Amino acid sequence: MSVLDYVLAGIMAVFTGPEAFSIFGIGISITIVMVTFGFFLGIVIGATPGLGGAFVMAVSLPILISIFGYTPDALLPVMGFLIGVMKGATVGGAVPAILFNTPGTPDALMTTLDGYPMAKKGQAGKALRTAHFASASGDTFSDLVLFTTAPFLAILVESYLGFAEKAALIILSLSFVAAVVGASPMKGLIAAFFGILLASIGTGEDLYPRFSMGTEFLANGFPLITAVLGVLILGEVIHSFEDMWRDRRSRNAASIVTQSGNNGLSWKERRALAPFIGTSAVIGTLIGALPGIGSTLAATLGYAAGQKMHKGPVRFGDGAPEGIAATEAANSAVSGSNLIPVLSLGIPGNVSAVFLILAAESIGGFNPGPSVFRFSVSEVNPELVIAFGLFTTMMIGNILNWTIGGQFMRWVGIMARVPKQVLMPMVFLLTITAVYVQETDMLAVYFLLAFGLLGYVMRKIRIPILPFVIAFILAGNLETVMRQAFAVSDADPFFLFRSGTSVVFLALAVLVVIFFSRKPKHDVTVSSEVS
Amino acid sequence: MLGRKTELVLGAILLVLSLIVVLAWIPLDSETGMIETFRRQTTMGDAFLPTVAAVLMAFCAGVHLFINFRRPDNLGTECPAFDGKGLVFLLQLTGITVLSVALFYWAGPIAVNLFAQGEGDEAVTYRQMRSTYPYKLIGFVTGGFTLVLFTTALIEGRFRAIRILSSLLFVAVLIGIFDLPLKNVLLPPNGDW
Repeated sequence: MSVLDYVLAGIMAVFTGPEAFSIFGIGISITIVMVTFGFFLGIVIGATPGLGGAFVMAVSLPILISIFGYTPDALLPVMGFLIGVMKGATVGGAVPAILFNTPGTPDALMTTLDGYPMAKKGQAGKALRTAHFASASGDTFSDLVLFTTAPFLAILVESYLGFAEKAALIILSLSFVAAVVGASPMKGLIAAFFGILLASIGTGEDLYPRFSMGTEFLANGFPLITAVLGVLILGEVIHSFEDMWRDRRSRNAASIVTQSGNNGLSWKERRALAPFIGTSAVIGTLIGALPGIGSTLAATLGYAAGQKMHKGPVRFGDGAPEGIAATEAANSAVSGSNLIPVLSLGIPGNVSAVFLILAAESIGGFNPGPSVFRFSVSEVNPELVIAFGLFTTMMIGNILNWTIGGQFMRWVGIMARVPKQVLMPMVFLLTITAVYVQETDMLAVYFLLAFGLLGYVMRKIRIPILPFVIAFILAGNLETVMRQAFAVSDADPFFLFRSGTSVVFLALAVLVVIFFSRKPKHDVTVSSEVS
Repeated sequence: MLGRKTELVLGAILLVLSLIVVLAWIPLDSETGMIETFRRQTTMGDAFLPTVAAVLMAFCAGVHLFINFRRPDNLGTECPAFDGKGLVFLLQLTGITVLSVALFYWAGPIAVNLFAQGEGDEAVTYRQMRSTYPYKLIGFVTGGFTLVLFTTALIEGRFRAIRILSSLLFVAVLIGIFDLPLKNVLLPPNGDW
């Protein structure tokens, strides 16, 4: 098969896959339905303060796996849904930021600076249109960079890196994530090593399941999705419970300002926003390609760059549409390029990518990493077809975003009025139910609660969650490539230092920690959405 | 960043824990060591990666201790990580969760014992009734309702009639999503019986 054949096969896999229903005799594939559903749900959830795309992705993953099963046919609908949610939530986060001065997602914090002043001036409609235009532009640009970069990076990695180099690359990625997320690189590293330790329980190659203490309940280790959901979602839920419990009095109902004047966004105005959107899209794409650096930092840098470029009458912070455009283009551009390390290296760099990897690992038949982009001519590489299918779902998401996303976004402002104290207990029950539905074992619920408590404690003592989660997921791969590297080196104790490339990767892993340890960072600006 | 004293205590605890893992847990609870030689073939043992991870964890905890030992006292900008209030909250939430999970697990079987009738004098077990209405939903409804309602009440500091309604409605929605259309899906605790 040629490259073009693979691209076409990917597109066909989406459009002619299992049929959900038909309109006038034309079958609509289940993948398209799931992407669409995920996209709209993502906007709704993104517009709900306190929730975010990660919540929906986490909770829906076990449910979707229960519905679609563990067959390769499930890959595109499930992952397409997750991609739809990811895209929708990115757009939706701007809605409460503009209407109620409450960011729906952490990366929309900077949007409040100009969005809410515009809403107070009666220009909420214009602000929402600006946010949507910038967000859709940034997202589409980032996706195009992903489509063109990931295959080449993957081919490079597959051609030049052996087992030792791949192990060193995973170590470098973990070290990078640990160093940049949170305020202290040492705490980030502790979280990563702790993740590897916990992932080791009940696994290994010996007959006796290591570190199981002779018990049966630890003998099979911790179910991956349960552990990740516990630390990432339940930990956050418990933490938010405590915050609300401590802060009962400050809950005021959000009020809507009456809107007046011209709320449209003309082509001339769109053209004037283009330089801000272009600059921020490039910033967001670059930031997104680096594992661990969340969209919050991209939004901050995009806003700062826009502020330097801006020469208009309304200053940034006083309700300048350019401020919204700079922020939204930057944080949305992260979402596509975030998948570059996932698809080319198999390394999840942020929370959304974590759930895409979990979906792939749980369902089977698709192992994100360099081997996906093997353009074999004599036989079909099904993983490559899936990869191009995923790119197609992303484009469907973008088309939805450009066509009806903006209108839908303006309808969901009501979600910001849903009281968080009612919503979060429901998320608590939904998470427990989702895990049980997949595992059908109360033991999984107990693990979930234990990992939830762990996530809560880690948040309290400011140990970042993302390095823990990524290390937990990558521990198995890391151990496998290390075993292989050790074996091919004829049991050389310095098996990781035998090639120049792996030495460079390991040296970089140390340097990045030293670099980020030099001066204290602020938690908010340099952190992912869950740390 | 937490206060200096808290960070020092945290570093010390992490250092001690990781040393216990390296010196006691890994050697005692792993079949093979770091390197294994069997029939002239040397391979990586099961203890290799966890040992490396735990040693590096201890090292990082040591560095963290050192950094915070040298750090000026006035950089502690935040309130303590844990206080009495937080503990009270956590205990209450734990109580609600334990009660709800107990209801998940036992409400159905208890209801079967009390009300279900078998043919003749034969005793009926929950396993036999776990796919029969209403028994299959009793655990989920009581446990789920308790969890949502009591947690909301804990956060709000009071019980409100409207929350009873919204909690019941949410449990009904979940049943509508999971139980009615999906025949192969089991709600808690039906997979355990």
